[in-house]
Amino acid sequence: MKAALLKRSEFYLLLVIVVFAAAITLVNPAFLTIENLFDLIRSSSGMAILAVGFFLVLLSGGIDISFPAVAIVAQYITVNSIIALGIDNLALAFAIAIAIGLAFGAVNAFFISVFRIPTLIVTLGTMNIFHGAMLEFVGTKAINAGQLPNCFKVFGLVEVLILPRGDGTFYGLSVFFLIILAVVLITWVILRFTVLGRVIYAMGGNPEAVKRSGFNLVRLQFFIYCYVGLLASVMGIMHVSLIRYSNATYIINSELLHVIAAVILGGASILGGTGTLTGTLLGVVMISILEKNLVMLGLSSFWQQFFVGLIIVLGVSITHLQKRLRERI
Amino acid sequence: MNTKLSTNLTLLAILLVLTAVISLLLPGQFLTGRNFASMGRQFPEYGLLSLANMLAMITGGIDLSVTSVMSLSGVVSAQLLSRWESLPMSPALVILLGILLAFAVSAVCGLINGALIAYVRVPAIIATLGTQGLFLGIAIGITRGSGVGGFPDPFLFIGNGELAGVPMQFLIYLAVALLVGLLLTRTRQGFSMRMYGSSPLVSRFSGVNNEAVLMRTYLTTGLLAGAASIIVISGVNSIRPGYGSEYLLISVLIAILGGTDPAGGFGTALGLTLGIFILQVLQSGLNFLNFSPFFKKFMWGLLLVALMVFHHFRRRYSQRRAARLSAGEREPVAGQG
Repeated sequence: MKAALLKRSEFYLLLVIVVFAAAITLVNPAFLTIENLFDLIRSSSGMAILAVGFFLVLLSGGIDISFPAVAIVAQYITVNSIIALGIDNLALAFAIAIAIGLAFGAVNAFFISVFRIPTLIVTLGTMNIFHGAMLEFVGTKAINAGQLPNCFKVFGLVEVLILPRGDGTFYGLSVFFLIILAVVLITWVILRFTVLGRVIYAMGGNPEAVKRSGFNLVRLQFFIYCYVGLLASVMGIMHVSLIRYSNATYIINSELLHVIAAVILGGASILGGTGTLTGTLLGVVMISILEKNLVMLGLSSFWQQFFVGLIIVLGVSITHLQKRLRERI
Repeated sequence: MNTKLSTNLTLLAILLVLTAVISLLLPGQFLTGRNFASMGRQFPEYGLLSLANMLAMITGGIDLSVTSVMSLSGVVSAQLLSRWESLPMSPALVILLGILLAFAVSAVCGLINGALIAYVRVPAIIATLGTQGLFLGIAIGITRGSGVGGFPDPFLFIGNGELAGVPMQFLIYLAVALLVGLLLTRTRQGFSMRMYGSSPLVSRFSGVNNEAVLMRTYLTTGLLAGAASIIVISGVNSIRPGYGSEYLLISVLIAILGGTDPAGGFGTALGLTLGIFILQVLQSGLNFLNFSPFFKKFMWGLLLVALMVFHHFRRRYSQRRAARLSAGEREPVAGQG
């Protein structure tokens, strides 16, 4: 019954997306084209990756608000080190970023698991530690397209599928698509087919039961928060490759609410233990479309933040009201 | 109450030692009337937000929307106040209405939070994270992202004036902190809040209306954010949506520094005020030593985590001691890690 309800909430989300897309297509017929779809995938891939990470934390019954800080710090330090080292190599960039992401994730996990501090308070603290330390000790200067090492710029333009337009020019599907695909597939396999994944679901439902079944909660939490850190650092590299500009204050203020809105819209509950990856990805699609097309529906872009907030509030309200109704029956 | 006294005495000792150390490090700079007046002007804005988060934490919740409520009620009130010259009423009436408007908006915000938490049963973290975006979103939508300013002169007295040499906002903070202290120690609501924070179940079975307690709690946190917004807009004679977003961390930090238990059940207005003084003395010392705002951001994050680690050890120590006292030498089951 629980599964049926959840499936239904994803179905409704899909329905809303279809209706919304239809409305936009009526106003702007160029919306429902493969080219625009490819563009949407490219620009929302970063949010999708962050959402997968946030979803995993939420599933385990925790909350991590430090991931935007991890993403920007990993990005900014990586770009600066690549410039300083003079080695223009994408693999090295990913290696540096991922090392930072894993280290930050481990710091979060350390305080959460060893000292059993509430996850929100730990990540509120570490978010400021990471970002504050970077601004103080690394720098605050933005790096523009001219200074940005070539490997990022090339990475942002690689396409895996190229299609012709009517007029003889071409458009393509960004390599970012493969990254999301890989991340989603790996996460899905972990959650669906490994003991680790099943235990993460169980942790959100009842951590005490997981502990009594003999699982090491400390190790589980290290896995979860390092995984989130890793995904955030990958997003940091994708983000700079996409916009060809690294600003020390980007991501940190803009992405948090959008990602939370997407994940909650997708049906994951803050109480942990419920939610699916499909829902999360649908949530990302919904928020990305909303973000890009509000103006097209005649609404000022200044109201974007309001809509994102409204979605979170309505989304959690519906989830919790459903839960209360279910419990009453 | 033993823990209450010992917590506050510890805080007082820390404050005194810290003040002494910084005075010695900065002879003739720190221990001056001018510096104290300037400190008294700085902290009330976030002090009121810290009181709000303390109250939320006493019930086992948190209010992440305080800075957004501050932005929204400031922006709405500023819409009226900045038009004072073209309105057909006296400036005094405009000011009065402006203040009432700020409180009305913040009360509505607080009630929305309260309803989500008490009746829809959304955990406070996620409810207030959502309304944080929602309220700030409304403020940005109203002003189209830019600032609003230019208020009647007498209004600016609230955030800039002095009474017998003492900054107005300092006096406002003291009065509000006193009221919050009385609320916690002398009223049914205060007692119910602590009981609910310790155990919602016990509270329910004692015949307490848990929903009403939560509604009143978040109404109060909203009103405190509203009071902060009045001080802010009158202090700088303008408001920009998103002003003071860094206060969120500071308000949570101070609440915990002031001895509030984030798991619920314990917290005092006096402890919180001592916590604010400690942070303000540190802040002021860092300013004199020319540390950047980034370094402070780093420091506050570090302090928050360090405090929680300290709490962890204190909790473990007191549990061990309780176990030893009750069961001779038998050790409690060791925790993980």
